[in-house]
Amino acid sequence: MMTFEKNKTGIWEKLTKLDRRIIYLLLFLVVLIPLIYPFRLTPRAMSPVLKLFNHIDTIPPDKCLIISVDYTPDTEPELHPMTIALLRHAFSRKIKVGILCISLLGLGLAQDAITTVTNEFNRHALTRDDSVVYGRDYVFWGWQTPVLVPILGMGENIAKVFPVDYYGNKTDTLEFMKTIKNYNDVGILVSISGSAIPFYYITYAQTQFGVRIGVGSTAVQAADFYPYINSGQVTGMMSGMKGAAEYEQLVEERCRFYGRRKATDAMASQTAAHIWIMVTIIIGNISYFILKRRQK
Amino acid sequence: MNVSTNPWIWISAILTLGIFSFLYKENPFYRVCEHLFVGISNGYSITFVWHRILMPTLINPVARGERLWLILVAIIGALYFTRFIPRISWLVRIPIAIVMGYGAGASIPRAIDASIIEQLKATVITRSTFETIYAGLWAIIIFIGVIATISYFFFSRERKGILKPLSYLGIIFIMLGFGASFGYTVMARISLLIGRLTFLLRDWLGIIK
Repeated sequence: MMTFEKNKTGIWEKLTKLDRRIIYLLLFLVVLIPLIYPFRLTPRAMSPVLKLFNHIDTIPPDKCLIISVDYTPDTEPELHPMTIALLRHAFSRKIKVGILCISLLGLGLAQDAITTVTNEFNRHALTRDDSVVYGRDYVFWGWQTPVLVPILGMGENIAKVFPVDYYGNKTDTLEFMKTIKNYNDVGILVSISGSAIPFYYITYAQTQFGVRIGVGSTAVQAADFYPYINSGQVTGMMSGMKGAAEYEQLVEERCRFYGRRKATDAMASQTAAHIWIMVTIIIGNISYFILKRRQK
Repeated sequence: MNVSTNPWIWISAILTLGIFSFLYKENPFYRVCEHLFVGISNGYSITFVWHRILMPTLINPVARGERLWLILVAIIGALYFTRFIPRISWLVRIPIAIVMGYGAGASIPRAIDASIIEQLKATVITRSTFETIYAGLWAIIIFIGVIATISYFFFSRERKGILKPLSYLGIIFIMLGFGASFGYTVMARISLLIGRLTFLLRDWLGIIK
């Protein structure tokens, strides 16, 4: 009996001293296997995502959706699916979209999302009316700095903040800009970011101009935005890869748009990894308490 | 398996593996990748600022003899570089003071409004809060949470009487907040790993569709 007890605590001791590289390797396998042998999960949209979707869905034809692509390649897996899902939603509902970047490294990602989604729509288009046309249905304004200049300036005149678009066209010559002048013509502005930029939009654009703000945030930041949803300063939010997957699900269900769903595809791995981490936390705590008791 | 023949994909994949190699231990391969990332990001930013900001909004108009007052602004901005000359490094205070003054003036009133007044309003319980039982319940929980958490950070009096249980309750709310943040952090980091693995398996090796 004594030997058995000794062996039992020996295992716990070994577990607490386990080389972190073994834990990394196991986590790597837990993430890897569902990617190779996936199982599809159906994300159920939570209230913040649903609110954002519903608000965008009801944007009137004379107003537009602004997407502020404020993330950089390091947060691309979490945030890029959000931009793609928003563009799919807007284009399938014929909602005008203005795209800008506050973060310089977001330009390439914004361009990639635009190319991906416009190709998806225009591939099946038969007429110009069916197509998604640059300058009519959407505009890519590009980048402007410092952060307060575009955020405050767009409240007065968007064309003044972005005299030329990303491609070098004069913005005031574009058909889109004839009806979209400033925040009064914006249904909602969604800031997708892995940094504090959505706070700038809340503090300056929402507080001063009353424009509706949506947030697409990395999961790390998500908890910081909940008080703003509660106060109504943020209309809706997608948080992390799960938020993106929920939005993808809504776009597929309600807009009948079927495309590659990067975030949803990753949810199997995400779930497996979460279960694995929960197991390791539980084992770690049990071994901690057993060893503590033994020390006493 | 359909391995990519695109050299850019190969470069990305090798650099990704280089960064991952840090999980084993610090090594020269990792350091090369890290320095490349810093250098390229800075190079990209500097080039972009030059072509998209300085050229069209400063250099070109001034070269055409328009908006000559921009020269003064450019000189003030250039004072940032005096940091590198110890004798006149004090001049850096001028642009810093302007930026701070502008920043504080623009942000203080709005930040108070957005982060304090609006948040306080959202915490106050009124009759309209109880439109539904569910909403009313959450409003009460939020109200108690705010009061308890603030009382935990109230250090001007010894924790006795009502302050003692209230501050303990505050700890529970704070811990719940930390737990939520930690859970979200795990999700974020796993998402990034999934993103890179998807790239390696799909775009590089062609193992998954």
